[in-house]
Amino acid sequence: MWTRASDFDRMLGAMDLFRNRMNRLFSDFDRSYDKDFDWRPFEGGPLTNLSDTGGHLKLAVELPGILKEDITLRIQGNYVEISGEKKAELPKGYKAHRLERGTSSFTRSFTLPMEVDAERVEAVLKEGILTLSLPKAEAAKLKQITIK
Amino acid sequence: MSDRKEMILKEESMPERTKELPVIAPLVDIFENDDQILLHADMPGVAKEQISVHVDNGRLEISGVRKLDTSGSEIWKEFDSVEYKRVFSVPQSIDVPKVNAELKDGVLKLYLPKAEAAKPKVIEIRSA
Repeated sequence: MWTRASDFDRMLGAMDLFRNRMNRLFSDFDRSYDKDFDWRPFEGGPLTNLSDTGGHLKLAVELPGILKEDITLRIQGNYVEISGEKKAELPKGYKAHRLERGTSSFTRSFTLPMEVDAERVEAVLKEGILTLSLPKAEAAKLKQITIK
Repeated sequence: MSDRKEMILKEESMPERTKELPVIAPLVDIFENDDQILLHADMPGVAKEQISVHVDNGRLEISGVRKLDTSGSEIWKEFDSVEYKRVFSVPQSIDVPKVNAELKDGVLKLYLPKAEAAKPKVIEIRSA
């Protein structure tokens, strides 16, 4: 009888494991884009894009619902660190039915492909996207050489 | 010659092709009090003009299109132009004409007021 009960428990345990894995799969799928899909963990911090516009590097970071006061930017040489906090905002007088957006602190850091001039970096937060314009350091810029 | 002109005209009148964008579900918080249901949805990078909210027959659909301008050469890309879309069942008692939406810091805040008939009533208990 006990053997049967433990078998039953084991089966339920396997079902739980399966369900958890499916849930994780679907939550990843929900957040994924069909291009460049590589199962990276989304809990690791905000998503970012980096592009090179010639004189500048442009870094865009998804930060919905985060105020600029709650974001810290640190740049040195070719190292960038973005950290911040998503604060709880339970509206007054309401009860919560479903909470998916969460409150958490995050940090992401990068080593850029080249050094940037930290003094002239511009940062703009608009519609939940932080855009950094990172001017390349003089030494990192392409030089045109005249052939004599 | 006239055929060619017609072809060009047709091309110009083609509607914007947002269908090709990948569709993802935004993360959502749902709150409620006696007067209304309040919904917060993360939609970073979506402009106000690109948001649509439909409430019809107990079905609420929110969607927003994000179009990123891509300048320069890409070094890495973790997010792209996308359509955020999510559908919910809502009580029939929502006062649809009074539904209100605001977009701030990449978060859509949607206020769904309850019709008068759906609000809880305070019943006074009389002593016998």
